[in-house]
Parts: sequence; structure tokens; C-alpha cells
Amino acid sequence: MFKRRTFYKGLALFSAAGILAACGNEGDIPGTDGGTDTGNGNGDGAADGEEVSLAIMQGKVEFNAQFNELAQMYMDENPNVTIEITSVGGGTDYFTQLTTRFGAGDEPDIFSVAGPNEMEQMAEYMADLSDTDAAGAALDGMLDTVTEDDGTVVALPYNIEGYGFIYNMEIFEAAGIDADQIETYEDLEEAVQTIDSQLDELDIQAVFALPGAEGWVMGDHLANVFLSHEFNQDVNEAYNADTIEFERADEFQRMLDLQADYSIEPILSLDYSQQVEEYFSLGQVAIIQQGNWVYPTLEQMDPDFAENSVSMMPIPLDGYENQLPVGIPNYWAVNSNNDDATVQAAKDFLDWMYLSDEGKDFVINEFNFIPAYEGYEDMEIGDPLSQVVYDYSESGDTIGWIFNGYPTGFTNNEFGPNLQAYLGGEMTWEETIENSISAWESLQ
Amino acid sequence: MRNKELSFWLFITPVILSLSLVVILPVVMGFFFSFTDWNGLTFNQFIGLGHYRRLLEDSQFRQSLEFTFIFAFVSVIVLNIIGLSLALLVTSKLKSRNLLRTVFFMPNLIGGLILGFIWQFIFVRVFAAMGNFTGIEGLLGWLSTPATGFWGLVILTVWQQAGYIMIIYIAYLQGIPKELIESANIDGATPFQKFRYITFPLIAPGFTVSMFLTLSSSFKIYDQNLSLTGGGPYNSTQMVAMNIVDTAFASNQMAYGQSKAVVFFIIVAIFSLSQVYYNKKREVDL
Repeated sequence: MFKRRTFYKGLALFSAAGILAACGNEGDIPGTDGGTDTGNGNGDGAADGEEVSLAIMQGKVEFNAQFNELAQMYMDENPNVTIEITSVGGGTDYFTQLTTRFGAGDEPDIFSVAGPNEMEQMAEYMADLSDTDAAGAALDGMLDTVTEDDGTVVALPYNIEGYGFIYNMEIFEAAGIDADQIETYEDLEEAVQTIDSQLDELDIQAVFALPGAEGWVMGDHLANVFLSHEFNQDVNEAYNADTIEFERADEFQRMLDLQADYSIEPILSLDYSQQVEEYFSLGQVAIIQQGNWVYPTLEQMDPDFAENSVSMMPIPLDGYENQLPVGIPNYWAVNSNNDDATVQAAKDFLDWMYLSDEGKDFVINEFNFIPAYEGYEDMEIGDPLSQVVYDYSESGDTIGWIFNGYPTGFTNNEFGPNLQAYLGGEMTWEETIENSISAWESLQ
Repeated sequence: MRNKELSFWLFITPVILSLSLVVILPVVMGFFFSFTDWNGLTFNQFIGLGHYRRLLEDSQFRQSLEFTFIFAFVSVIVLNIIGLSLALLVTSKLKSRNLLRTVFFMPNLIGGLILGFIWQFIFVRVFAAMGNFTGIEGLLGWLSTPATGFWGLVILTVWQQAGYIMIIYIAYLQGIPKELIESANIDGATPFQKFRYITFPLIAPGFTVSMFLTLSSSFKIYDQNLSLTGGGPYNSTQMVAMNIVDTAFASNQMAYGQSKAVVFFIIVAIFSLSQVYYNKKREVDL
């Protein structure tokens, strides 16, 4: 009996201690204990600044390791600065955690935002970045969506991304198709039929792999091509629009049908990783609709194939042939709810990242970013897909991304599922469009 | 009894403190926020029953509720049948019964998310490969239709939880006095009679416990749902928990999501409590 008694007593004490300890943790904000001992100060010039710590929270996990390396480089150069990075996995999770951190008073000094909705919600925390060098060096049009009416720039672009039809050059060559000749829908359809007629000879399973499980591939990316001009390619116009017309619904349907008809089955359980890794990178399909962000994955699967046999072409749109949808998925914002020194340190870091020589080298070669800033003209872009995107954006043959201006939850909960229902035969195309229009109106 | 004063409070304080901090306080706050326009950080005004009125017209929420009810109904039945069968199997005179107990229990040790991905692989790849090989149509296209999505979830849940339910039944089966079985043997009862008239009534408390556990867990399933189907195709397999999370976090409608959670809480509470009450009445004492 004695033994059991002591056990429970111990347990009670233990849990009490645990609660106390948990309470004591409050206020222990990571990154606040910035005291790197700079020794006796015979370092470089930057070391004489005040001790600053920068907590960074950002939503692009893919380059987390490289980003940490870059931060370390910066800290080595500027011993008075301590940087702590939190990267949170894509999509919805990031923004929830960001608002949670703000709600808990544990505010990051630099954070990322994607799209007008997130910006509107974080507006009161976004510092004026107009005076940064990076804002001055941004390429034409890159700051349009983050510039307020009075000309204040409140965020800085991460990078440029673009998507289209990524195709396997070997298969195209074997099938006797010249991708440069594909400009209109009819050209594309003919090419697809040509490939489809020789599936066995080419030793592939299908022409496309349409990931029906991923609402965003169809609802965000594909639809954007046919919706962008409805909003004059302006994401803010889409964001403020009370309704949506789907003027090019027929063209959209035609393109979706083409991909679905010539795709690996079953479409509705096919996901992104199957599309990119299993089917495309292993040469099982000729074309996938994706963006330059798939390159690292392709490279992991087969560096040789990724480097030599992959290219990208635009999704044909009547009247706007040969234009690639290019946009900025993420922006950096600096927390304005801070003392001036910290805000300045945050701006300095962003400037350094995009404009210093070390930074530029890292941005291009380690992050594999397509830069949205001047000063990269004579540097070589990391991979062939990014090169295509960069070429199109340089020549201005682009279609603006407006899908970040969709009402919150539109693709996830309404548009995407409606498109899936259409592909699954549950809805007619008219119902799909009608339901999506009314969903837009009720969400807006 | 004098002694009770100090040690009683010493023991009970940590529990009360943690319970009120992590359960009671959030529930009360949740009820409160569901009547406001709370956005996760601040709220500006009370909107009374506005969210609840909107709920009545939310077809996706209704569909999620229906799906969850059907799912809970089917999985509770299947889970208990299989759990009890496994328990009967491993309490019989099998040589490998100890090994089997471990094996049957093991899926329960794997997290729901991982299980979801494992079964996704099985349904989508393995089933398809077997289907292509044998030519059985039914094995193709799993998780790409609402029906296969539904049964996929049921199979996953049953596979995961049957072992746990089995353990509960084993405890009750081993509590049955040997004398009863012996005298029944002497009276010449058949195995079925023994099960029907001795075992079954005596493990009735086990039913109460297991039904309560399976019912509430089937209602509240989220991670398996998320990783196996993600609600797809076209949100047809989206359960209520997922619908709530999507509303609150993906669509950023915190207060509206909260009101859904309140409704869900009340429904689960009513079902679980009435089910416990009903089963309690049926239990027999020795």
C-alpha cells in the first residue's frame, strides 16, 4: 500500500510541477535571447551595431534549409544580428499559425504573405518598405499588388513563378511533334491526338496526367488562364469583384476535357506527387500541367532527365497565344509593431538577400528562384523550366495570376469540388459554372 | 477523514486546474465566440444567432453531417462485431493467441495520419495493381468515387480500432466465472447457447464501454479523413470535423466554424450520453 501511495503522491507533484513549468514558459519567446558574444570587437564594421534579433516566419518550406544557410551567412557577417527562422508547410497551415502567433503576442519580425486576402488581414502589421533598396530594384509591375494608393510599398516579392504545360522533349521528338509550333488549342489537340495514336510505340501510358484530387491545379491554375482577362489580369480587381462571369467557360471546359480525356485513370484520386513523380518523371506521360516549382522534384528523381529533356509551353488561350501565366506567389512583410531599430534591421536583411553579391548568388543558385529584381541580368538561371518562365516574363508575354484574389476558400471548398464533380459525372458543366458563380457571390 | 482535507485538494488541484484550462475554459469561450463575429484575433460585435441561422442553409455542412452519421453507424457496428470476434478468437485455446493479441492491437499504435497515407497507397496502388492483374473491376478506381471513399474510411477505421476494442472485450470475457461455463457444459448447452445466454449478457458492460468509445471516435474522426481522402472526391467524404476545420482555418471564418463546432458538440454529446444511458439499463449484475 505504501508504495502505491508514494507513487500517486509523486504523480500529483509531478503534474503540478509540469503545469507550473508550462506556465513559466510564457514570455520565453524564441529568438529574443540574441546575445551572440561578439568578443572584443575587432570584427568588421557591421559588428558595432546594437544587438538585434530577427524572428522570421515564412510559408515556403521547400527552401528552408537553404534559407537557414543564407541567414547563417548574414549572421556571420553581422555578429550583432541573430536570425531565427520558422518555416511552416504550404497552403492553409501557414497563415493559421501566423495569426496564432500574432494572437499570442509572439510576433515575428519578418513574415510572408500570399495574396490580397492575407495582406488585408495583416495590413495593420505591415511596415512601409518604400525606402528599401529592394523596392527600388523590383522589376516593372512586380510591386503592383503590394503598392497602396498613395504609393506606399508594403511587401517585397519572394520570386517569380510560372506554370504551363511541362512536356517531355524526348517523347515529343519521338512522336514527331515540334512544341514551338503549338500555339492554339487546335494545334495542341492535334499534337495530343498524334501522341495518343502511338502510345504503344512511345511506350507511355497516356498523354496527360491530370491530378483530379488536387483542386488547385484545375481551380487555381488552369482556370486562371481563362479568368485572368476577365479581371484585366489584376489580382486586386478579382479580389474586389462581387461576381464572376466565366466569359471563357467554354474554352475552359474544352481544355479541361482534353486533359481529362487523354489522362491516366482514375483522375479523381490522382494527386500531385503521382502526377509529377510517378508519371511524368518516369516518362509515363508526355505532358503535365504544372509550374517551374516541380523542377527540384524532377531533379531528385533523375537529374539527367530534368536537365536535358524537360521544357514548358503556355496553355493556349484564344486571342492570347503564346503567353505564360506568371505571378508572384509570396511576399515578404516586415512587422511594423516593433522598434525602429528592428524594423531597419529587417529591411537591411531583405535588401542584403536580394541585392548583395552573396545574396544574389544564393537566390539564383541555392534557392533556385527566378528573381523579381534588377541586377540579375548577367547571371544564369538555375534550371530550364525557370529559364522558360524568366524568358516569358522578360519579354512580357505573360498572363497575370488572379487566383490569389479568389474569395477565401473558393477553390478548396467550392470551385475545386465542383470541377471534381464535373469530372466525376455528378454535375453538368452548366451546373458546375452556375454553382461556382453563386459560391463566389456568397463568399465574397 | 480529517486527513482528507489537505491531501484531497493536493491530489485534485492539478487535475482541476488542467481540466479547466484545456477543456472547460475553451468550451465556454467557444460557446461565447460562436455568437460573435470573432476572426481568430478580435471580435467587434455580437451577432446573436446569425451563424446558427446560416448553418441551417449550409448544404455542405448538412452533407457532412449525413456522411458522418452514416459512417458512424456503419463503423460502430462493424467495429464491435470484428472487435468481439477477435476477442473471442484470442481467448479461445489457440496456441498463437498471445502473438495474435499483439498483432491485432498493433495498428492502434500507428498514428491516424500515417495510417491514412498507408491505406491510400493500398487502395490506390495495390488495389489497382491487383485489379489490373486479375481483371476484377471492383478493385479499380478506389477513393475516386464517393462510395469507395466511404468504404475506404470504414476499412481504415475498423483496421485501426478493432484491436483496441478487442482488448476491452477480452477483459470482460476473462471476467466471466468458469463455474457458469462448466455448469452450462454439464447441462449440455451448445456453444451458441453458451454465447447467447451466458457470455453475451455478462459482457454487456463491455458493449457500453466499446460502443461509447467507437461512437464518439467515429464521429470525431479527422486525421484519417484528411490523409486518406482529404474530403475528396468533390467533398463527398468530408466529415464534420474536417468541415469545421476547413471553415475555421481554410476559409478563415472562425466564429462560423465555432458555431458548427458547438452544434457538433451537442449532437455528439446527445448521442453518446443517450447511448450510454440505454446500454446501462440493459446490463446485468451477477
